[in-house]
Amino acid sequence: METSEKLPQDSGAFHRQRVGIGSWFKSGDPWIWLTATAVGACIVAVLGLLGLIAFKGLAHFWPADVVTIDYEGDSGRFRVAGEVVQREFIGRDQYLEANSNATAIEGDQVERWMIKSGNRKINAPDFRWVYRHEIVQQRKDRDMIVFERTEWGNAYGKLVDVKEHGQSISFDDPWVELRQRIERVSDLRGQARRIQKGSINRINYRLEKLRLEKRSRELKGVLDHTEIENERERLNAEYVVEEQRLRNIMNQLERDEVVVQIADGRTSTVPLRDIIRAWQPNQMSLWSKLGHYFSSIWIFLSQESREANTEGGVFPALFGTVLMVLLMSVLVTPFGVVAALYLREYAKQGPFVQLIRIAVNNLAGVPSIVYGVFGLGFFVYLVGGSIDDLFFEAAQPAPTFGTPGLMWASLTLALLTVPVVIVSTEEGLTRIPSELREGSLALGATKAETMFKIILPMASPSILTGIILAIARAAGEVAPLMLVGVVKLAPTLPIDGNFPFLHLDRKFMHLGFHIYDLGFQSPNVDAARPLVFATAFLLVLIIVALNLTAITLRNRLEARYRGAML
Amino acid sequence: MTETTPQHLPSLSRRRRLLDGATRHVVGAGGVAVICAIALIMGYLIWVIVPMLAPSSIQHIASHELSVSHTLHVATDDTFETATLIGSDGIVEFRDTENFETVQESRITEGEIESVKAIFPTSDTYAARVDNQGLLFFKIAHVVRFLGEERRIENSATTLFEDSTIDLQDVVEYDVYRSDTTLRVALLHADGSLVVQEYADVDDYFELEEPRELDLPPWNGAVENTQIIIGPRGRWLFEIDTSNGEYRLLDIASIRRVGQVIEGSLAPEESQFISATPVLGRYSFLVAYESGQLAHWSLTPSENGTNLERIREFSYREPIPKLVTEHRRKGFLAIDRDGLAHLGYTTSHRTLAKINLQQLPKVIEFSPRADRLIAVHEDSIEVYKVTNKHPEISWSTLWGKVWYEGYEEPVHSWQSSSADTDFEPKFSLTPLLFGTIKAAFYAMLVATPLAIMGAIYTAVFMSPGMRKFIKPGIEIMAALPTVILGFLAGLWLAPIVETHLTSILLLLIVLPLGVLICAFLTTFLPRVVSARFDGWYAALSVPILVVLAYLTLTNDAWLSNLIFGMDAKMWFYEKAGIDYDQRNALVIGIAMGLAVIPTIFSISEDAIYGVPQHLVHGSLALGATRWQTLVRVVLLTASPGIFSAVMIGLGRAVGETMIVLMATGNTPIMDVNIFQGMRTFAANIAVEMPESEVGSTHFRILFLTAFVLFALTFLFNTIAEVVRQRLRSRYGNL
Repeated sequence: METSEKLPQDSGAFHRQRVGIGSWFKSGDPWIWLTATAVGACIVAVLGLLGLIAFKGLAHFWPADVVTIDYEGDSGRFRVAGEVVQREFIGRDQYLEANSNATAIEGDQVERWMIKSGNRKINAPDFRWVYRHEIVQQRKDRDMIVFERTEWGNAYGKLVDVKEHGQSISFDDPWVELRQRIERVSDLRGQARRIQKGSINRINYRLEKLRLEKRSRELKGVLDHTEIENERERLNAEYVVEEQRLRNIMNQLERDEVVVQIADGRTSTVPLRDIIRAWQPNQMSLWSKLGHYFSSIWIFLSQESREANTEGGVFPALFGTVLMVLLMSVLVTPFGVVAALYLREYAKQGPFVQLIRIAVNNLAGVPSIVYGVFGLGFFVYLVGGSIDDLFFEAAQPAPTFGTPGLMWASLTLALLTVPVVIVSTEEGLTRIPSELREGSLALGATKAETMFKIILPMASPSILTGIILAIARAAGEVAPLMLVGVVKLAPTLPIDGNFPFLHLDRKFMHLGFHIYDLGFQSPNVDAARPLVFATAFLLVLIIVALNLTAITLRNRLEARYRGAML
Repeated sequence: MTETTPQHLPSLSRRRRLLDGATRHVVGAGGVAVICAIALIMGYLIWVIVPMLAPSSIQHIASHELSVSHTLHVATDDTFETATLIGSDGIVEFRDTENFETVQESRITEGEIESVKAIFPTSDTYAARVDNQGLLFFKIAHVVRFLGEERRIENSATTLFEDSTIDLQDVVEYDVYRSDTTLRVALLHADGSLVVQEYADVDDYFELEEPRELDLPPWNGAVENTQIIIGPRGRWLFEIDTSNGEYRLLDIASIRRVGQVIEGSLAPEESQFISATPVLGRYSFLVAYESGQLAHWSLTPSENGTNLERIREFSYREPIPKLVTEHRRKGFLAIDRDGLAHLGYTTSHRTLAKINLQQLPKVIEFSPRADRLIAVHEDSIEVYKVTNKHPEISWSTLWGKVWYEGYEEPVHSWQSSSADTDFEPKFSLTPLLFGTIKAAFYAMLVATPLAIMGAIYTAVFMSPGMRKFIKPGIEIMAALPTVILGFLAGLWLAPIVETHLTSILLLLIVLPLGVLICAFLTTFLPRVVSARFDGWYAALSVPILVVLAYLTLTNDAWLSNLIFGMDAKMWFYEKAGIDYDQRNALVIGIAMGLAVIPTIFSISEDAIYGVPQHLVHGSLALGATRWQTLVRVVLLTASPGIFSAVMIGLGRAVGETMIVLMATGNTPIMDVNIFQGMRTFAANIAVEMPESEVGSTHFRILFLTAFVLFALTFLFNTIAEVVRQRLRSRYGNL
């Protein structure tokens, strides 16, 4: 119902002619302002948090200019080139604490910049603080190049030479030539990846299957393995061929090198096989920067991570999250709906059902980690262990289902979210006027027919709302998953080309856990931080979108029933 | 709603009737299944916990005749398949534990073994004193081999160090310690002189090189009655006079010179000393007295260096002449004069089971897993089965203060694992409970006022236009994954709070005050303008808050100089002695507060919004102001609803995992200080569960904490639910 505020407009306004502090306080208005401040503070906090995540997460992909800075530090003059990732002020005390022999400074605060200077291999560390007042000179060289590499993070420097088979070759425009050659390399790398992830992976998978088959035959007492051995020979031969192809590509990858001069004047030779992309941010136009920006976002979404997750994309984590949540909703929907139907339509209403209802409600408030403990103990060790003993004897002692994995994670989260679906569905069922049921029954329909033709369709929006809320909760839950199946780096996706295609026993990656792992377990926190924000933003986006859908659905539903009832 | 299906109608076709019945059964079964699944959670948790309470027992399971009667030592392998008997004739016999028949024999020396000791801290290498030869070292190994499907154990006893021996001329007592590469031998000579020899770069297969020696100062103890024991890590040397219980403790950390030397007595008062037996790791001793008492003495740091302290006591009816300890835990078996054996555990101060052995055995040993006891008498070998899975647990070890080995005093401590095998696990749940309460308290301190005040404004004063956005906005806030809040709190907020401590604390005063001042200023505006603000106060306060917060935070250095005269952290440290930890309760309060606010907000907003309109109108009609009506009518009526909101919020705060995990140091300390971290039940489970061994005491205790969490939140939520249901019926009656 769209009412106005509960208390009508300012009733004290009549006797508010002259305002003094005393009478103002007497009117109670200040307290109202204070309550308003609480709402304001919440708004600031929520918007601030969302804004912060969005800004930091999205800014990460922008091709920032590379600044070359000369500064006079404690131990001499240095030159560093890189992206300025953070500017902040620190207190005088903190500064003096860190720099005991610092020169006298003015003011209470010192400004410092964090420079991402890359070149971790030859010029560590790759992130360094530079004090503003120590900077002698700064400039933006147009020909500075940023190299994104498969390992050791970014490299920053100027192009000196491009070499082929170790021989320098002169080109009209080395930059154009370099980009063409990078294109070639990434093409080759793609081919190598297809072989590794495709045929070689398939062969390995089959070899493992063969080993298990042989073992299970041995357990049964069959001693003739010629068939299996023949198959193994064949696969091994195939493997040799694929490996040769891979080696050829690897050799081709080794062809080119690029010589780069880094900020302090040293030159370094970088093999082209390591380079993923190269760009010259200082001379890119706005449009080409935008192009670069969106391609970076695409890479983030579609590629695997590298360098202990601190570089590259989040595709496996995104994939794992979505797959796990889908499996969970497949499990939770029928059970949640059936339980709600039972409680509302079939069970005899009384204190017992009321008690169960309270219990279900309360379960929604039980900490998720408790479900994780239950999932680990019951599903993984008890049920999974029994499944292994019964069906996967050949693979023993390596566990198949007796170890955390996708199936147990989905089941645990289904259990965690089933109260959400039950409560939401029940709410929907309660709203359906009993006249409708009675009408249907009076027309001769059976109870089942009434349920399928009248009640379920009418309750479907609230069922859907429940499912969406359940999905939103499941997508953001991390604590129980840490116990029942999530890992920081899964070697393979849970879905691949090998029969049975969906591997429920595999461990998987998850966006939420990715955030935890990157932010707190990563060896290089500075390098990981922007990616954490980007991942967090992605997760928030997914969850807010799901919730908004649920809220809109619920509002529509409310409107619809109001129409139906009148 | 349980109308009966019109089954009586004759027109109902068979198919329809079947479908109706099938649906009924499927729904019924499904519903009951889900309810059972829910019950299963609680049931399973309890099922895992209960074995911790199971009583321990010792049973006699086998008795075998023994033909030889010169056994000096008995040991068994890990799986209790082979028993090893070391005889004084220099022969090591391996017997199967089924029938106790000799399966293998191995001679390690031609001479006669006078005594044999396991080299501390190993369990498979021994030092034997051989007549006319000196100290000889040997190793016993059991290797499992598969010949096809057949499993076979190959036993061996081999001498070490290429048969090197250490001269024992004039030596009355000795002890041996070995780390990876060094061997330390303590030798007490008949003339009272005590020498420690250290052999460096020791390898099983090479001869011992020349040792370095350390002569220790002479002592007045009676040489013939003195027992010497090398203590933990080879660092301490105990000399105990077994005639009167006098002892001397020497620090031999360095082989060049002796460190502290402390003397004392293990037999204070009038009780007559019998013997002292080191417990696993040798940080502590069990000392038996003629009075039947068994005191537990431990190395304890004190003002004048490390000393032995009596930390607990067991009392038995008869004196204990024989005592053996477990190999992997701090358990022991104390046998009194009549052969009555008591199975005890030091940490938990429990006597777990008793059995009558009929007589004092010559040699008795635990199996490595402490699930069997093997006793050697003059002419028989007796085997006992010990069921003693969780002796570490008692009500007082879980909740009370326990005096652990190496501690100055009884403490509450949680320290479940360590890399050392002689580690004494500390399973006090009190620090975790304390941490849980502390985190929840600070979170509620932040969340409750903000959420309730916000709910009041939103439900009562806010204009509908704004309310339309605020409600869903807060609901979305509730859905924000806590892992994101946790990471922001740990990586972004915690450093900011650390560097801007003054202004963060100041914001508590500045923000409300600033808004009030601005609000007061609005009263000077023409009423046409100020009347329009009504219902939009919240929106108006936003820019004020942002500006004030920005100003405060950017002038932190100036402000802290003004208020504290120095950096705020430093001030707290110097003036109040409060240490500052970057990830602390303040950060948790803010971050977890944000996570709890939406829960409390939504429920209390619903409760306040649901107060019947006629009550409000009545109050206003009687001349009460808006605020008076709110406080005396609306809030009073809605108070049960607000209470239940707080309870549910509390439930959430207690069980929240990710925020606490990421934004505290996770150290299980008990410190109310807001600038220190904590470890909560939930975070503790997340940290330790993956590494916990299935079925171990640690595993079951983690389940117990999960159950405690479950029970706590279930309790809070049930209270809340009951209160809310009452409220609903009350609104109905009003």
